[in-house]
Amino acid sequence: MITFLVLSLLTLVGGIITISVRNAVHASLGLVGTLLMVAGLYATLNASFLAATQVIVYAGAVMVLFLFVIMLLDANRPVEDANPLPFIAPLAGVGGAILAGAFAILAFTYKDPRPLAESTAALANGAPGPVGETLLTRFLLPFEAVSILLLVAVVGSVALVQRPAVQADPQTQPGAARLEGEVA
Amino acid sequence: MPDTAWWLDLLWTVVKGVLVAFGLLTTFAYMTLVERRLLARMQIRWGPNRVGPLGLLQPLADAVKSIFKEDLRITKADQLVYTLAPLIAITCALTAFGGIPAGPAGSFFGLDPWVYKLDVGVIGLLAITSMGVYGIFLGGWASGSKYPLLGGLRSAAQIISYELGMGLSILGILMLVGSASFQSIVGWQANNGWLIIFQLFAFATFLVSSFAEVNRTPFDLPEAEQELVAGYLTEYSAIKWALFQMAEYVNMITASALMSTLFFGGYKGPVFLEGVIPGISNWPFIWLILKIAFFLFVFIWVRATLPRLRYDQLMRFGWKLIFPLALTNTIVTGFYLTYFRSAGLWPLALLGLIGFVLLVVLSDRARKLWNTPTHRPDAERPAATRPLGGD
Repeated sequence: MITFLVLSLLTLVGGIITISVRNAVHASLGLVGTLLMVAGLYATLNASFLAATQVIVYAGAVMVLFLFVIMLLDANRPVEDANPLPFIAPLAGVGGAILAGAFAILAFTYKDPRPLAESTAALANGAPGPVGETLLTRFLLPFEAVSILLLVAVVGSVALVQRPAVQADPQTQPGAARLEGEVA
Repeated sequence: MPDTAWWLDLLWTVVKGVLVAFGLLTTFAYMTLVERRLLARMQIRWGPNRVGPLGLLQPLADAVKSIFKEDLRITKADQLVYTLAPLIAITCALTAFGGIPAGPAGSFFGLDPWVYKLDVGVIGLLAITSMGVYGIFLGGWASGSKYPLLGGLRSAAQIISYELGMGLSILGILMLVGSASFQSIVGWQANNGWLIIFQLFAFATFLVSSFAEVNRTPFDLPEAEQELVAGYLTEYSAIKWALFQMAEYVNMITASALMSTLFFGGYKGPVFLEGVIPGISNWPFIWLILKIAFFLFVFIWVRATLPRLRYDQLMRFGWKLIFPLALTNTIVTGFYLTYFRSAGLWPLALLGLIGFVLLVVLSDRARKLWNTPTHRPDAERPAATRPLGGD
């Protein structure tokens, strides 16, 4: 119980650091802390495979790529100018309220889909085998839906940062084009 | 179970942890000496031989020097992250080693010869080592200078790329053994023979990826002197610099231990010696240490032999050669285990051998095929989507 309290407190602290710090690198480090603490929570629940995967995928790979982009683009300066997307703050507020409401409803109406002892036995302490089997049979549809969500997010981010393509310029020298191609 | 059990457990775990850390750091200190002496020998010169007999006190002198050297404060550095980075690096490096079993359960004066045991064994170890990249990466960024930043970025890209090859090389083993814990992997090898016999191909890709993971020559691009001064280490000095060095060597030891455990029977010794001294193959520590020493020698040997890759070659090698090969090995192993498991394991060993020999024979062609930059004629180039000359 004490472990849970400490871990969840640290998780929240990491989350608050993430959204409140001005320096983008420090913010991502806060997020790394949060992800690690969530992995710790999984570990205390005996889901060691899930914990290891959380660390490898999120803290070890995704966040490194985040930091990579931040450092490469030198984006760690605080953002001062107005947000280019209109109404983003009110929209985010509405979204957050809906999410909080959904979580509240979930928390207060939660019923175990199967008896706890039964599902614990079925997952065998979160060993890789049973987790994979559950994920790829019973929960295949949500699993794939999440990957489509990720794909949509990737396409969306590309669409957001894409500059309008310039028409082929007859004056562009072939030599100059080669330089551009080699950087890519 | 009496009430005192949990704190006794905790105490022993702490004691074992301290012992492991102490052992690793001593090994690191003498590893630097052995490496310098061996490199010198391979290059026909003497190496350090002044401090003590055969230079044996050199590591001590180095340690005293780096502890008492002034700890520079960099004006443009991000102080917090700058201090944190070497600590992250060394913490992850030391933690990772603790999960590797050095002997059968209860063989260390009645205690288990490992610091912690995870059900997910090797996956957990990969998770911990994957956090180690933050040390290098953040150190490079926090130094507030150009070359360290470039070194940090390089290392992040490199480690992420080769982690894939490394993880995929292990999958074949996990499929064969059916468990990810080190204890069952070692036990399986005691019954069926060393895994390198059945997974030779995976061992080849794993070996190369481990060299890249620990930033050793020929993959030490993050600290390429000719290009980046000393890469992420440039602004570091004194004990923080030494911590980074420690992390690199400890990672090397862990990689060696991992290779010994996964492919070479782990802490088990050769069974034929049982006839001479009964029980010798189960002696803790000695066999693992011997195997680690062998791989550490390989690390030094390769450093003395191979020149450094160019950065684009490194990336091409990782993504276009190591990654597909490891993936192929995973698929072939999975296919075999699903459909031909009843035929025994030796055809799998044969497949691995054939693949390995083919790879070695064709290595020159493969190098030409994969390692030359893609060159497209101007006509086939995609039109530039951005106005040239900046925007």
